[in-house]
Amino acid sequence: MRGENYKVVILGANGTMGGGAAAMFAGGGCHVTMLARDPAKAREGLIDAQSIAKAEALADNVTLGTYDHDMDRAVAEAALIFETLAEDLALKHEFLHRVDHHRRPDSIVATCSSGLSIADMARGRSESFRRNFLGIHLFNPPHMIAGTEVVPHDATDPAVTATVVEMLRKVFRRKVIIARDRPAFAGNRIGFKVLNEAAQLADEHGVAFIDYLVGPHTGRAMAPLATIDLVGWDVHKAIVDNIHARCEDDEAHACFKLPAYIEKGVQEGHLGDKTPERGGFYRRDGKAVEVLHPGTGRYEPFKAPARIDFVERMKSLNRVGRYGDAMAALAKASGWEADIARQVVIGYAGYALNRVGEVAESADDIDTIMSYGFNWAPPTVIIDLLGPNRAIGMLQRYNLKVPAVVEQAAANGDKLYKGGMLDYGRTFVG
Amino acid sequence: MSTPPVYVLGGAQTDFARNWTKEGKHFIAGMREATVGAMESARIEPREIETAHVGNFAAELYAKQGHLGAFFVDIDPAFSGLPTSRHEAACASGSISILAASAEIEAGRYDLAAVVGIEQMKTVDPATGGEFLGTAAWYEREAKGIEFPFPKLFGRLGDEYDKRFGLKDEHLAHIAAVNYSNARRNPLAQTRNWFMSEAHAQKTSKYNTVIGGRIKVSDCSQVTDGAAVIFLASAKYAAEYAKRRNLKLDSIPRILGWGHHTAPIEFGAKVAESRDNPYVLPHTRQAILDAFRRAEIDSVWDLQGIETHDCFTTSEYMAIDHFGITKPGESWKAIEEGVIEMGNKMPINPSGGLIGAGHPVGCTGVRQMLDACKQVTGAAGEYQVEDARKIATLNIGGSGTTSCAFVVGK
Repeated sequence: MRGENYKVVILGANGTMGGGAAAMFAGGGCHVTMLARDPAKAREGLIDAQSIAKAEALADNVTLGTYDHDMDRAVAEAALIFETLAEDLALKHEFLHRVDHHRRPDSIVATCSSGLSIADMARGRSESFRRNFLGIHLFNPPHMIAGTEVVPHDATDPAVTATVVEMLRKVFRRKVIIARDRPAFAGNRIGFKVLNEAAQLADEHGVAFIDYLVGPHTGRAMAPLATIDLVGWDVHKAIVDNIHARCEDDEAHACFKLPAYIEKGVQEGHLGDKTPERGGFYRRDGKAVEVLHPGTGRYEPFKAPARIDFVERMKSLNRVGRYGDAMAALAKASGWEADIARQVVIGYAGYALNRVGEVAESADDIDTIMSYGFNWAPPTVIIDLLGPNRAIGMLQRYNLKVPAVVEQAAANGDKLYKGGMLDYGRTFVG
Repeated sequence: MSTPPVYVLGGAQTDFARNWTKEGKHFIAGMREATVGAMESARIEPREIETAHVGNFAAELYAKQGHLGAFFVDIDPAFSGLPTSRHEAACASGSISILAASAEIEAGRYDLAAVVGIEQMKTVDPATGGEFLGTAAWYEREAKGIEFPFPKLFGRLGDEYDKRFGLKDEHLAHIAAVNYSNARRNPLAQTRNWFMSEAHAQKTSKYNTVIGGRIKVSDCSQVTDGAAVIFLASAKYAAEYAKRRNLKLDSIPRILGWGHHTAPIEFGAKVAESRDNPYVLPHTRQAILDAFRRAEIDSVWDLQGIETHDCFTTSEYMAIDHFGITKPGESWKAIEEGVIEMGNKMPINPSGGLIGAGHPVGCTGVRQMLDACKQVTGAAGEYQVEDARKIATLNIGGSGTTSCAFVVGK
């Protein structure tokens, strides 16, 4: 499973995830063949991978090639074929059809897709392919974010899933969960609910205010709207539109409605950090930071919002590691701002834990992917720090569905989180 | 009269990959997390702790804060009034704290001590951090105005080996590769996801630049934020602890032996002093021998592994012959024969050491003791040394100046 005899082929070497995936596999000792449309593009992928690994010697474990000249032979020799092509189902089908034709019967084929259905991608393929096909969803950038979703479809051999999970954990040191083949899988389904809710709130309350109000002190490495800028507005739109269209029965369906100002911004090329001259929620010109006014579409000089006592109190408590006291400060705070913050925070924990059994097997899995895929506080930690009875009270106050696991915890007096402060402390920012 | 035993009840450490500054954290957050985690792990109640010792090198510089012993009291209301102190001996601060705490246990003053090692280093840029670390040498003579003085000092250690015995950089590269490889199995190691290969470590390149003398980036330990906590106990407390948990007293590890020596602070003075000695750092050698003698072991081969101070590859190269794995000057033989690798005769740094696991300066000695304790209790997970019964640690402050060695076992 490990070492130069384990051969991996990456399709889409120069794509967003190509370099990161190559750095991960080659760094774990595999021999990686990076394939792209032409040699220059494949080399771009290698340079990206070397930059991520901070090692030119990564190239010792890498061979470059093109789809026209090298793909069929490389696929025939590979133990794992990992596609990181653009999120276009027709394109994926074209390549996977070719992989199906040339692959060894025992090789594993994985897609890095973050949005398309794994079952749809497997449709029309041979039985052997379907048995050995699954999703390995790495979060971007994979060398910074260890959270990984393995996504089997109905025909994936459970032994293949188990092998891939074991390999990702032991060889590549990933924090792995098995996610269900549902729209956006587990992490993005939960995370983008919160991100889009923040974007909706920004329409009414302003960008800087919302990022301040439900910022890193509420248990996330980065403020939500800054996160959407980092992810890219186009990617955000693709994910929430997909969930909005395909999860009509979701209790938070309205939270996935893309705000009109984002729709318009995407059309006009405002894609966040990847379009620095046009910006997203924020636009930087040297040291000057401008912030979007969602109502007018214009950018205004960034002005720090007026300080709110409970926000400052939470930051100060997180800074010294008193995370439970910080959550208690949120619970006790008064004023309409506190209601918004509480609704977002408890809404996140409640929504996440209501997905147990739908997007992942257990609350533990959901904790893992939110903690290591998003760098957000695990949902059960929020419930534990608030106390399940107070959490239930907050959920009911905001007319949010109470998860069964929270009701059980309240009834039994159980702690929900499996780890300790050493595991979750990093997710609360001061 | 024999010295009363000091038991090690376990503990916990923070994830060394974290950046507390990016998290907006004061170091007390790390101290709190490690202490609470250690109490949970060892199942010790706050009210049971009778004294606390904090090892830290330079919080005054990195965090503009002294008096670190007092911060322990902030962790839990039950600690109010507890006798606490802070100890500093550069990179050996953690081990000096262990020595101070164990001396109190041996003297019968207290039955249960918490020992904290902590350093927050990512508050400043690398050049400023390098300047701060220079205060572990004789600053005015060896560090002032010099960029990254410590890599240069430990480069000189390599040069001294080269002069006396010959030294090939490929052997140093192998030490780096082994430590990174071990770190991949340690879930709390700073470099667990980093790329490293011997080929990368051997070559100077865009991503592996020379830091000073023969020392490249790959030869260096890490700049790390980290805290570790262990509990030391008297026989009386350990017996009650074992009884409450249905354990046999002899299943709890002890500090079997210790050694502590301080050499002249200037590197040049050390080398001049050892000119006619078979060992380049004879005081380090003596600290190891003292630990062996007190542990009543005949040689290094009575151990199953070592957690040593590889602040640079040259310091691990030095440790190999100073522990007696080879004759003086022949460390390369153990490297070539793979003796120091996991699964072989004398695994060095199963945790990844300072190069792989990370080096929060004042924390390192405590982290080493925690790892030694994990090894001899079979709790080291994927980096467990098979049948580990006795593990040694070596923690060094300055350029081989303060040397502390321990043997931990049952």
